[in-house]
Amino acid sequence: MLTPLEETLLAFMMAVIMLGMGSSLTFKDFRIALRHPQAIGIGFASQYLFMPLLAFLIGRALQLPPLQAVSLILMGCVPGGATSNIFAYFSKSLVGLSILMTVCSTLLAVVMVPLVLAVYTSGIDAAFQIPSANIIAVLGVLLVPTLLGMWLRRRNANVGACTELVGGILGVVVIVFLIATWVPRNWQLLMTTGAEVYLAAVGLGLCGFIIGYGFSRAARLPPLKARTVSLETGIQNGPLAVLIVTLSFTGETQQQMLLIPVMYGLFIVITSTVVTFYYRRCSLREELARDQAKVEAATQGR
Amino acid sequence: MESPQDAAALPRDRRPWVHHYGAIPADLPPPAHSNLAALIHSSAERFAARRAFTSCMPNGMNGSLSYARVDEASDAFAVYLREELGLAPGSRVAVQLPNCLSYPVVAFGILKAGCVLVNTNPLYAVSEMIHQFRDSGAEALIIIDLFVDKLPEVLPHTAIRHVVVASLAQFFPPVVRQVVQAVLRYWNRVIPPCQVKATELGLALAEGRRLRQAQGIEVAGYWRDLVPESLAALQYTGGTTGIAKGAMLSHGNLLTNVSQIEAMAGSHISDGEECVLTALPLYHIFAFSVNLLAFFKHGAHNVLVPNPRPIQNLQRAIENYPVSWISGVNTLFNALLNEEWFSLYPPRKLRAAAAGGTALHAAVAERWEKVTGTPLVEGYGLTESSPVLSFNPLVGVRKPGSIGIPVPGTEVRLVDSRGKPVAPGEPGELTARGPQVMQGYWQQPEASAEALRDGWLYTGDIAAMDEDGYLRIVDRKKDLILVSGFNVYPNEVEDCIALLEAVQEVGVIGVPDPDTGEAVRAYIVPRDALDRDTVKAHCRQHLARYKVPKQIAFVDELPKSPVGKVLRKDLRAEYLKNHPETATAGSPAC
Repeated sequence: MLTPLEETLLAFMMAVIMLGMGSSLTFKDFRIALRHPQAIGIGFASQYLFMPLLAFLIGRALQLPPLQAVSLILMGCVPGGATSNIFAYFSKSLVGLSILMTVCSTLLAVVMVPLVLAVYTSGIDAAFQIPSANIIAVLGVLLVPTLLGMWLRRRNANVGACTELVGGILGVVVIVFLIATWVPRNWQLLMTTGAEVYLAAVGLGLCGFIIGYGFSRAARLPPLKARTVSLETGIQNGPLAVLIVTLSFTGETQQQMLLIPVMYGLFIVITSTVVTFYYRRCSLREELARDQAKVEAATQGR
Repeated sequence: MESPQDAAALPRDRRPWVHHYGAIPADLPPPAHSNLAALIHSSAERFAARRAFTSCMPNGMNGSLSYARVDEASDAFAVYLREELGLAPGSRVAVQLPNCLSYPVVAFGILKAGCVLVNTNPLYAVSEMIHQFRDSGAEALIIIDLFVDKLPEVLPHTAIRHVVVASLAQFFPPVVRQVVQAVLRYWNRVIPPCQVKATELGLALAEGRRLRQAQGIEVAGYWRDLVPESLAALQYTGGTTGIAKGAMLSHGNLLTNVSQIEAMAGSHISDGEECVLTALPLYHIFAFSVNLLAFFKHGAHNVLVPNPRPIQNLQRAIENYPVSWISGVNTLFNALLNEEWFSLYPPRKLRAAAAGGTALHAAVAERWEKVTGTPLVEGYGLTESSPVLSFNPLVGVRKPGSIGIPVPGTEVRLVDSRGKPVAPGEPGELTARGPQVMQGYWQQPEASAEALRDGWLYTGDIAAMDEDGYLRIVDRKKDLILVSGFNVYPNEVEDCIALLEAVQEVGVIGVPDPDTGEAVRAYIVPRDALDRDTVKAHCRQHLARYKVPKQIAFVDELPKSPVGKVLRKDLRAEYLKNHPETATAGSPAC
């Protein structure tokens, strides 16, 4: 795990990154995001219907021990993380939509997480504490810098553009930092962890991406929005899951239950990076295609 | 053929379009200034504190110049040209800059110095640069740092003695400038090292300021003697014959065209209140006259975009500034309409948009008006006419597919191959006469005599005029294909093929054919799988038999001009190069 100093530093960097993301936005971006309000509903459904179900099924299929199965389900039902917004930015998806979805799912986490856990973990005696104060803090770290960034851009486009650049660079630094430091730090853990935990931790994120995309497309969202929902669904708020576990359990149980969220936290950064590269290529290709689209196609909406 | 005197007294009934002028004056008063430098200076004084130019990068980073600062900096540049470089009035100065803040400073400085501006496409290859610099006899060159790597090859073949280098982020706030330069240099790696002796623009301006102060130079003295007939610019145009020729545009030509543009668009331009988006390159005559000169005269804020492709590059400019006017070409408007951020939330302050360069598709114009609630009007012109010859009126009747009515002070006649006016409604070559028509081609007496006959400019475009005087372009005369004695207009064939969903773009030319004299040949850029038979079957359904392409070639891209016009002459040249045996089989479509 990270030391308190590193955590503070990371939180600070996240705030700067969100400031940068905010500087790339105008209120118009949120209006565009809300033009398909079903996107938020779809994201919500992916988040709280499919992800927990998926976690439940993966746990069953891999025959995980109960404690790990529960922590996988917990992982499945925590809201989306702020990192999804960074990846949405780099993949040239809709950052505005991503932020709205993160905010909505986080707001509703207070109600939804216990509810979903109750459904899937009945029979397992576990008393989860949902840290509502922390959830509010998450929202604060997300929203305040975003709004501040938007305000900066409005006040002075140059300051906004420079902030965005700094935020973007810092985003890459943090991602590289997370991957580079995580592996040596947890080498022992990686060596002793069984294959099924690997599968569960990697599979949850990957399946989340696929389901998020597939469901959105099935619901007729345009590809760009589907990719945004996909990233939002696959990327969960790992640190929040870790916090819930540490607040709710102690000793050996806590250690056992932390395994999945910690492993997920590592691999989601890696898989998201790969998926982001792919999505970015799709976005660029679509941009080019729109650029060259024929007049007739534009007129008749074919 | 009637004499010029007869034509000057063209009766009103020979100008049916005058009925559609509304508030537009039928006869143009002479321009208030005798040269462009005087116009620039008086406008700069009038709107001194207002923002004149903003250059907006795709990521939103920007720099701005006020009217006063453009005036001061271009004064300094004029002094630098005259005193430091020792250029004489009338010396040609080449400018090879994309849209950036340096452009107005440099161009205005050249005009104020009494020198002649030679606009040059920054993307030109070495051989094109050599031709243009040699032909114009340019003595100095102002170039963007992105392309200085071509200079060691170019300069020895030209008369250029002085090189000034500008950067994209010139005049940006210091920190932003460093960031932009660092990104371009180290991340995009697009700034090559400069291997020739050159002066940085900032230093040239500093030197100009120093000299001005030290010697107490009155810059207005440079332009006091310039008259409307003085040469202002050599604007090179490929025409359709290949080798680029320099159209000689005088101060009077350009001043008149500015007046004509304001006569047509004045109802939608308020002094000191407009914000115009300049996505087209300023080195091209359309943006030069419309955006740079006409809007500067009216105190508009000009938002310059260095590169409008991909179209996303315009997003920050449109979101961050209260754009009220957009000038562009068909592809630009089409691309904007395809963007969600534009079509859902079009600029709120938008008043009107002007299209030129290539034919504006009626479907684009219609959708534009629906999406933005403002008119998108098409105009027509040539480099040789500074450029505007006709425009659709913003108030009154706008006809889709029409290039509008002749602008005030302009006479238009459609003539047949012998120079005789054609019957009303019949297609004929568009010829025009007016104070905006060039003086001739630079050092090309034969080409000049060919283009200018008895004061009439022969445009080489075939047009038809309806009973209201609205013009419609049928095609380029030189592109006309003669199949067994029948006229085939490539535009018609192209429009037909473009209807196919699998076709991205198409260009049609005539090639020599032993049986029919000429044959129709189509170059198609497919977007999906497509075969020749499908194309031919489709054409047979919609076109007369002799118009159906005999040959079809599938290509990855079509040669295009800077404003996106398909260059049919390049297609023809390449065909003849690859098929030399056919060159004698029939006469090429000229």
